[in-house]
Amino acid sequence: MILSINDLTVSHGEKTIVDRVSLTIDKGEWFALVGQSGSGKTMLSQAIGQLLGPNLRASGSVSYQGSNILEHPKTEMNQLRGKAISYIFQDYHGSFTPFLTIQQHMEEYLQTHGVKEKKKRKNMIKEAFESVGLDVPLVKRYPFQLSGGQLQRASIALALLLEPDILIADEATTALDSVSAHRILSLLQELQQKTGCAILFITHDWRHVARYADKIAVMKDGKIIESGSKQKLIHQPEHAYTKQLIQAAPTLPMRIKEASKS
Amino acid sequence: MTVMEISNLKKSYTPGKLAVNDVSLSIQQGESLGLVGESGCGKSTLARCLLGVEKIDGGSIIYNNTPLANANRKEFRDYRRNVQTVFQNPTAALNPKLKIKDSLLDPYLQFQRELELEHFTFSSKQGFVEQLLEVVELPKELGDRYPHELSGGQKQRVTIARAISIEPKLIILDEPTASLDVLSQGAVLELLASLQKTLGMSYLFISHDLAAVYQLCQRIAVMKDGELLDIFQKEDIYDYSRHAYTKELISIF
Amino acid sequence: MSVMAFSPKKIKKAKLWLISALLLVVLAAVAYTFLYLKHAATMTDVGNRLASPSWEHPMGTDHLGRDVMTRLLLGFRLTVGYSMIALLAAVIIGVPFGLLAGLRGGWVDRLFMRIADGFLAFPDTVIAIVLSGLLGPGIGNLLFAIVLVKWVNYARMVRSTVLTEVQKDYITIARINGLSAFTIMRKHLMPHIIGNVLVLASLDFGKIILLISSLSYIGLGAQPPTPEWGAMLNESRPYFQANPEMMIYPGLAIVVVVLVANILGDYLRDKFDVKKEVQP
Repeated sequence: MILSINDLTVSHGEKTIVDRVSLTIDKGEWFALVGQSGSGKTMLSQAIGQLLGPNLRASGSVSYQGSNILEHPKTEMNQLRGKAISYIFQDYHGSFTPFLTIQQHMEEYLQTHGVKEKKKRKNMIKEAFESVGLDVPLVKRYPFQLSGGQLQRASIALALLLEPDILIADEATTALDSVSAHRILSLLQELQQKTGCAILFITHDWRHVARYADKIAVMKDGKIIESGSKQKLIHQPEHAYTKQLIQAAPTLPMRIKEASKS
Repeated sequence: MTVMEISNLKKSYTPGKLAVNDVSLSIQQGESLGLVGESGCGKSTLARCLLGVEKIDGGSIIYNNTPLANANRKEFRDYRRNVQTVFQNPTAALNPKLKIKDSLLDPYLQFQRELELEHFTFSSKQGFVEQLLEVVELPKELGDRYPHELSGGQKQRVTIARAISIEPKLIILDEPTASLDVLSQGAVLELLASLQKTLGMSYLFISHDLAAVYQLCQRIAVMKDGELLDIFQKEDIYDYSRHAYTKELISIF
Repeated sequence: MSVMAFSPKKIKKAKLWLISALLLVVLAAVAYTFLYLKHAATMTDVGNRLASPSWEHPMGTDHLGRDVMTRLLLGFRLTVGYSMIALLAAVIIGVPFGLLAGLRGGWVDRLFMRIADGFLAFPDTVIAIVLSGLLGPGIGNLLFAIVLVKWVNYARMVRSTVLTEVQKDYITIARINGLSAFTIMRKHLMPHIIGNVLVLASLDFGKIILLISSLSYIGLGAQPPTPEWGAMLNESRPYFQANPEMMIYPGLAIVVVVLVANILGDYLRDKFDVKKEVQP
């Protein structure tokens, strides 16, 4: 068990956005959180890293390595973010400062987390880029010079630089076309197997979930309405909403698909 | 019967690089033709050329036996009347300062003198707007609202209603469901299918989502880097003769 | 008193009431001047100069024995009237130029931008003073100078509105729907333009009133015996020590009207910008 969330509630004044959510993420697990926009899934992911805006209040507990990180002071949280818990977001452009090259981003990141030797940083950056399938010279480019897919890969490289225990991907592929999304997802899976990190993958598209997840939780109006292993949720969904979500995403007919694979 | 014949179409934005490279397609009356590809493959550029919004650099678009480039005013007007569109972002597709009913009436008011509608009757502006809203399953009170008061799914239905209001022969849909949440996507696809049954127009359905295209279309074309790589009937999707890239796309879904 | 007492909604409502109340007072006053004037504005009565307030003269008389209240009310018509004339002229000249530059583009647009840059290089007050100085004092010349500096703002704003909107999907679709360029301008662009122009105009209104009053105050605009408030301020200057109220009345009047104009501008801005643009 890497991360244990218990009765996490996020509220904005009187309004409850995340309503007593509990879930457990195990080491190396791909945990998918599925819900539509407005379900509270983004707030949940932000609460974990103490990234909530000033008007939002979080209560409950998020246990990491035995302590409730919701109560960590700022300095400790800054340490955790990047080293233990990393994020990648939907808006890959917004994840980068437009006037810094990718290399500068990574250098700053590493320096902040105490990697002092220049040579070591250079190597880490080189390896990170190679592991996400990007040509190393691209590291000197500015964000606007890279395509959406490339930028998202760079985000992943950045997020995994310090080998965090858990990577939180908030709608990371929603803004990409199917082909790029597929490539990013396969990449994430590959990296997950290599580094052993857990992934909390937040999405509204059931198809991504069906392929890659180990465990799935369905969120609606701030509550987890159903959760369990992938096998269970896909083949024996209990809740009507889960079934709705499953049916909503168009899929190619399965039967003939099996035949083509032979 | 062929509605539109596209021959060897070429379009370039930057010298030396063709956004659309020698594409040939024909669209039959009443059919749904899907066009699938990654972002940047040229499908949206192709759509803009077909809609007369971009000038082409080579090849021809032939509608009603007339190449578009040589069309006179009347012929071009006839083209406009019969080729309409639905874009990806429903919010951007509606003028925020106009009420829904005013946006809906745009095409009709332009062509009303030449129109002979079969499925809609115009007795008054109000009545016409109500018919349109009804056919896309929206409450008729929405006509007096402003776009910001509607949800994404509702706005997209409005743009669909606008497109069908003059009963065009062909509607070009460029990623019509990509900006919608997953439950709305399914509903809109169903609506498009049922509208086609009633009104009989052709669709050119452009998307990066092969499964959505498969659901709605009878024929599917695949584009990559400006080129048309493959085109097939949906039943033949798993045929061994499919292009390698098509097979790659299939494996994703 | 807690801050929650002044919620945005309450403030908006308060503004509305304030404007309505003031407008009513103002309209009543204006109606009065049209319907019933006890004294002509220029009727001098030097024997009764600088009199204290009385039933005859609710605000007393000025240094020439003229009824101050009459002159004040008439001055309102003049001040507001002159400003409206200048504003309208600036809008009527500016908007078509902006439309032309925005829609045509090319050399028309470039030419216009260079001209606009030229006009904008100088602050309006300075140009107004210089032009008035060159052309000679008088309200006509002052208005001409004001229009000359103000039209550019409207043209630029309209041009920028056009350029922004024309790139958007709904305009492309309007073209695909078969709309002519003229229809697009009338039906789709005008609502944006009118909204922006109204907001700009209501804010400019206060500024123009101040400009006219200030320049009349230094003798470059309305000339005596015109009961324009700035001119009245000028005339009352020598008597400030003994009869300060003669300056206070027109001064206060200017402040109140400009304040109302600004609040109106705020209100219009709220009405046109926030609600109808993209949201929450």
